[in-house]
Amino acid sequence: MDGYIIGTIIKAILVLAIISALAGFGTYIERKVLAFMQRRYGPMHVGPYGLLQIAADGIKLFTKEDFIPSGANRLIFMFAPIITAATAFIALAAVPLLPEFKLFGMTVRAIVADLNIGILFILGMMAAGLYGPLLAGMAQRNKWGLIGAARTAVQFLSYEVVTGLSMLAPIMIVGSLSLIDFNNYQSGGMGEWLIWKQPLAFILFLIAGFAETNRTPFDLLEHEAEIVAGYATEYSGMRWGMFFIGEYANMITIGFIAAIVFLGGFNSWGFLPGGLAIVLKVSLFFFLMLWVRASWPHVRPDQMMWLCWKVLMPLAVINVTLTGLWMMV
Amino acid sequence: METFAFYFLSISIVALFAVTVWSRNILYSMTSLAAGMVLISGLFFILGADFLGVVQLIVYVGAVMALYAFGMMFFDATGVVKEKNAPAMTVFILGGLTALMLVVIFAAPSIANGAPAFYPPMAGANNPQAVGLVLFTKYLVPFEVAAIMLLVAMVAGIILAGKKMDRSLSKIKDAELEGGEAKDSK
Amino acid sequence: MSLEEFKDRNIGTQNYRMLDLGESPKSGMEKFKQVVERSVKLELFTGLKVTFREMYKALFKKNMHTVKYPFEKMPIAPRYRAIHQMKRLLESGHYRCIGCGLCEKICIANCIRIDTRYDENQRKEVSEYTINFGRCIFCGYCAEVCPELAIVHGGRYETSSEQRASFSTLEDMLTPLEQLAEQSEFPGFGAISPNADENVKKTPLAY
Repeated sequence: MDGYIIGTIIKAILVLAIISALAGFGTYIERKVLAFMQRRYGPMHVGPYGLLQIAADGIKLFTKEDFIPSGANRLIFMFAPIITAATAFIALAAVPLLPEFKLFGMTVRAIVADLNIGILFILGMMAAGLYGPLLAGMAQRNKWGLIGAARTAVQFLSYEVVTGLSMLAPIMIVGSLSLIDFNNYQSGGMGEWLIWKQPLAFILFLIAGFAETNRTPFDLLEHEAEIVAGYATEYSGMRWGMFFIGEYANMITIGFIAAIVFLGGFNSWGFLPGGLAIVLKVSLFFFLMLWVRASWPHVRPDQMMWLCWKVLMPLAVINVTLTGLWMMV
Repeated sequence: METFAFYFLSISIVALFAVTVWSRNILYSMTSLAAGMVLISGLFFILGADFLGVVQLIVYVGAVMALYAFGMMFFDATGVVKEKNAPAMTVFILGGLTALMLVVIFAAPSIANGAPAFYPPMAGANNPQAVGLVLFTKYLVPFEVAAIMLLVAMVAGIILAGKKMDRSLSKIKDAELEGGEAKDSK
Repeated sequence: MSLEEFKDRNIGTQNYRMLDLGESPKSGMEKFKQVVERSVKLELFTGLKVTFREMYKALFKKNMHTVKYPFEKMPIAPRYRAIHQMKRLLESGHYRCIGCGLCEKICIANCIRIDTRYDENQRKEVSEYTINFGRCIFCGYCAEVCPELAIVHGGRYETSSEQRASFSTLEDMLTPLEQLAEQSEFPGFGAISPNADENVKKTPLAY
């Protein structure tokens, strides 16, 4: 029992450290990829290929003045970024990151907490994470912030239905909510990946995932061209940094869920061992998010609601119904 | 360990809901309500009802989010709301009596019988399955009724969201917006 | 981008193409059709293709747009109005300025100050000439009004300084004597037109 607790603590610290480092590295990758897609160089002067730009940004964020506007609700203003960052990492706790491996003669399972309702827990936690932007926007007494908060509510209520319904069909097929069961279900090679059985659910989940992490086609919350920085207008320094880390951690989480549920998870893929395979798949999703950001314009809030309620949700319901019929027959 | 967690969660929940009731700031009220709801899911986790805990989390996160939307529309979120409750005594007595009655109604059976579990945990069935079994046998009719109600609400939601979407707001003429004489051009 | 392309502001002669947007749908059915058509034809992926192509070009064909600014610079337009230059007479090397004070008069930002006196030969001499570049708005009026083409605009555009008001004196702006041979006329604002010789007329002294 003690060993279990110590192991869990070590795993939690490792996940926290690695994923926040990856989130920092993600900003570098994002800037580079966006730059290349616009035929620019991106950061290139700090360190080799601009790699130390992350460190420079980190130093800047840490040493910047932490500013709280005078009219703001201090307590909630200070509390909001912590919600975003914390829920992002709590959600990661239920994600199996890698296959089991042996270390010092012990079998290590690369999951902090193996819940038998893993996927629901992750979606619930990521949904709770949206309280961060909402509270931040409402607490800062800034018009742009308030618009950002209103858009958070609108966006949340729109996409959450689609996320749940699109996940329902794969859950029905596998018959479990545990991500490990999802992984084991697809252990028979590429032909058994759930994406072939549930292509529509995959697309719907991907679209909802973009909305969940507020990436570009649906980055209504802080669209710079319209509402300055939305919910983050008054934030500076490390509090803003926490929003940022939360967003990138959420991107990684969505990448893991999509990879595990639809793309065969961490089963070995051809000659690739499982650990490498899932890292590749998650990187693919991360790259897709950056690629889409470089390519597509973002939608208006009303278009977003139109898309979610009038197009995606009926499609998701039809998909669930068809899956049910197919399973009965 | 579990006892400690239970008392910690219970006290926190009561304190948070007290803030919800007594705070004059809409932001504090709603935030403590949301936090209390999240902590209630913690109680479910202690009881081993993981599924119900997560459902509590998901459902109330969404519900309180909608409440925030209304709060945002009607109040200044950073200011203090001036309440007008003139017959304070009447409200206090009525509210207190209702609360007392509810506590008695729900607490009396468990005090008398010592809270027996109607559906003890089944061997071999994990959490979601156990919930499903009860839901689709004993409580089938209420479940279906609730399902139909949700379907109605969903359709209503689509209609409300999609009502004016076929007309661009920027194309509505100024006179039409101001004068109120809705001369529809189409 | 070559200088020729850069200077070409004539819209219509460049490689612009009109976008064929088609007609926007009217009825609900047409809108529905449009949505289905767009989803099935995967029009969105054209955008993804374009950005990927650009990335391929940038990474593997070294086709980058970036001008690494402090190390390389874009050519600026000849009529660009940056920090002023004072020109010299080519024959004698004396500055061209005759101290008429027109530039000081016309300057709408009041940033030019000129002072003159008689020198030992009883000729007018510029004793003090400063431009406050903290105030100058680079409108070009001084260059336009100057009858001697003495003050013109140069191409030095990196003008950041540590003080709000940084002055330039006549000596700062004058062409150095050793570079007199390379002194060229400013083709921009206030310069004489290419056919100036044809426009020269006798001063009407008949009356």
